[in-house]
Amino acid sequence: MILPVYAQINLTTGKTEDFPISEAYFKRYIGGKALAARLLLDLTPAGLSPFAPEMAVIVNTGPLNGTGAPSTSRFNVSSKNVLTGGIASSNCGGSFGMMLRRAGYEGLIITGKAEAPVRIDVSDGEISILDASELWGMDTEKVQEELPRHMGKLVIGPAGERMVSFAGLASGERMAGRCGVGAIFGSKNIKALTAYGTKKIPVANQQKFDKYIKKWVRFLRKHTMTGDSLPHYGSAGLVNKANASHALPTLNFQQGHDPLADTVSGETLAETRLTRNSGCVSCPIRCERRVMLDGKEVKGPEYETLGFFGPNIGAHDIDTVLRLNYVCDILGLDTISAASTIAFAMELGEKGMADFGLTFGDVSNLEETLRKIAGREGIYSDLANGSKWLSEKYGGKEFAMHSKGLEMASYEPRRSVGMGLGYATSNRGGCHLNGGYMALLESVGVLSIRPQDTRAKAQWTVFMQNALEAISTAGCCLFSGQTFVPQILFNLGPNHFVTRFLGQAAVLTGPVVRLILAVRPVMRFNTLLLLPHAEALRLATGLPFYTGSFLDLGERTFNIERLYNLREGLTGEDDSLPARLTKTPQNPEKKNTVVRLDKLLPVYYRTRGWDKSGRPRERTLKRLKMENEHG
Amino acid sequence: MAHQITEACSGCTACARLCPVFAIAGERGQRHAINPKRCVDCGVCARVCAKDAIQTAGGRIPPRVPRKEWPKPSVARAECSACQMCVEACTPGALSISLPKERGDLRVFAELSAPAKCVGCGLCAEVCPLRIIKMEGGTAA
Repeated sequence: MILPVYAQINLTTGKTEDFPISEAYFKRYIGGKALAARLLLDLTPAGLSPFAPEMAVIVNTGPLNGTGAPSTSRFNVSSKNVLTGGIASSNCGGSFGMMLRRAGYEGLIITGKAEAPVRIDVSDGEISILDASELWGMDTEKVQEELPRHMGKLVIGPAGERMVSFAGLASGERMAGRCGVGAIFGSKNIKALTAYGTKKIPVANQQKFDKYIKKWVRFLRKHTMTGDSLPHYGSAGLVNKANASHALPTLNFQQGHDPLADTVSGETLAETRLTRNSGCVSCPIRCERRVMLDGKEVKGPEYETLGFFGPNIGAHDIDTVLRLNYVCDILGLDTISAASTIAFAMELGEKGMADFGLTFGDVSNLEETLRKIAGREGIYSDLANGSKWLSEKYGGKEFAMHSKGLEMASYEPRRSVGMGLGYATSNRGGCHLNGGYMALLESVGVLSIRPQDTRAKAQWTVFMQNALEAISTAGCCLFSGQTFVPQILFNLGPNHFVTRFLGQAAVLTGPVVRLILAVRPVMRFNTLLLLPHAEALRLATGLPFYTGSFLDLGERTFNIERLYNLREGLTGEDDSLPARLTKTPQNPEKKNTVVRLDKLLPVYYRTRGWDKSGRPRERTLKRLKMENEHG
Repeated sequence: MAHQITEACSGCTACARLCPVFAIAGERGQRHAINPKRCVDCGVCARVCAKDAIQTAGGRIPPRVPRKEWPKPSVARAECSACQMCVEACTPGALSISLPKERGDLRVFAELSAPAKCVGCGLCAEVCPLRIIKMEGGTAA
């Protein structure tokens, strides 16, 4: 067995040393966000500020990164979340992760603080800390142009330098946007990481692995989601679907439907602005949008950015979205948190509670606003602290659309209550992916599991959260898991009576899902249809990964991040949503258009094997072989 | 294992300029050196060396090969998923993903768009997850 080797870099002392991962940790946590959370618990004391020099930021990979398996350029950045005080784990599809592995390391653990701006370079197993004073101040595009073309890069922009709470990292044009990881880089004076090397990435059984990849790629290219819908429309294709289900946040989540949403839809984008589709390195799905901006081809917006710089701020100008998406990227801002914070500020303005010169529907000053946020200029420094902080200063907690402090993604959970539960319980805060992405099964997919019904939602949320966590930890893109929805349903279509019947009947499947969750260890089969990742992971690592143990890995990932949150002072009380979503029905005539967290949470905790206060029980940790480990 | 540069080197920099993994360093007019950790034994340096100063890991001194005889990648287009692994690996920038024929055309693939830049290293074929790139038409060193 080839165990991963990380490097530990202390920027205060300038010391670097190898940090081999033990067999026990490798078998249990594999890598990625799971291992990173475990290491954060081990290596950092409780209660540190995210900006304390002693705080660690971990940039690491999973065993599938760079192996050539589909959609495996995705690497992870974990630290303490600037917005929530809990776990930060941010995922990125840039080439830095696979380059890091080729350069000889599976991960970097960075602590301390450099006196002046630095670039950390990893080349052929050697680490150098280089002066980066001349790079400081550059946007994420410029700084990457200045660095050698062939290297894998991970950089911050002006927002990270000024420690904007939702500053992200850029690797190529891909962002590790969420949780403020860019601000943590800024606090340590890290402008850039670079990596290059030619080491072969080892795979336990190369021959079988190659064969399986061929099969898997063929499967992805045949499936409607990964072979047709995502390549044609990208995630942007969800705008019209969410809008039709009244799950498209509109005017800061006051409503879930905008009659003009088609102006910023994936279809409009594809028909009028798209030059071509592209993708992260290694990905056959290719959901990335390419668009022209000022005569240059740049990355187009994702669904969340279209929704949030569109209907959620009362705007309907697709060209503005393209521009603001690009501006956020080069400044190094997370588009979700930035746009959601702006929507909140607009509502504060509308209600006369604060005045940032922002009004629903007015996009004329937004580029300037983003630049001022990134520069922390004047009162815009308040916006740079995110919605939660703003609501504590100016009021409006009931409509500050975050959970735990992290702004929610562009799914209106009152018409997708499982998604609401996901937002509330997600470890990094209001995140649809960490939250289990139930919206896919309730409101934006081919299947619609009664969006207002609370039955079975807790069980499905647990199942989905575990599956998504395992895919992330392995080093894959979550979109590669979209094939989980059977092709036959796409053939029948959403309106076919079978699809509709399944959606209706699924609310009765709670006990079945609970049973599946309980018998995981004996699920010793692998199937391309369910989770191809398990088989790929087995062939790559030589460890016995089957569907059951793969889901276990996901559950362990979810629990270890939960343990980190609990250690940092978050509690079950923080598994919450703003009152707008739990108290005010989206449709005043339909009382059930709220998220009944009071009903959902107890079932969720029970299904997870947690106690009533949301703490994992001893026996749960024992089952997951995580006992005697809580930090 | 790695290639090495012998005393016959005149320091003409030709190998350093063509090495696709930037493994060769040295001053003009001085004997160059290959970073053994970086070298992938692609043999490009030997093919371009006019002084027969490149020694393979096995101790052989391969002859110089005229550029037009260097191998070139050939992609099985129909099978290509345009995952860009080869494009990323191609540091000289000879490969790219083809442009769609019309808006919405998804049938794109990796292609040798700048053949003049290709050094015939074969890194593209090596990283291709589907193993559908073959190096053809040349004399491997």
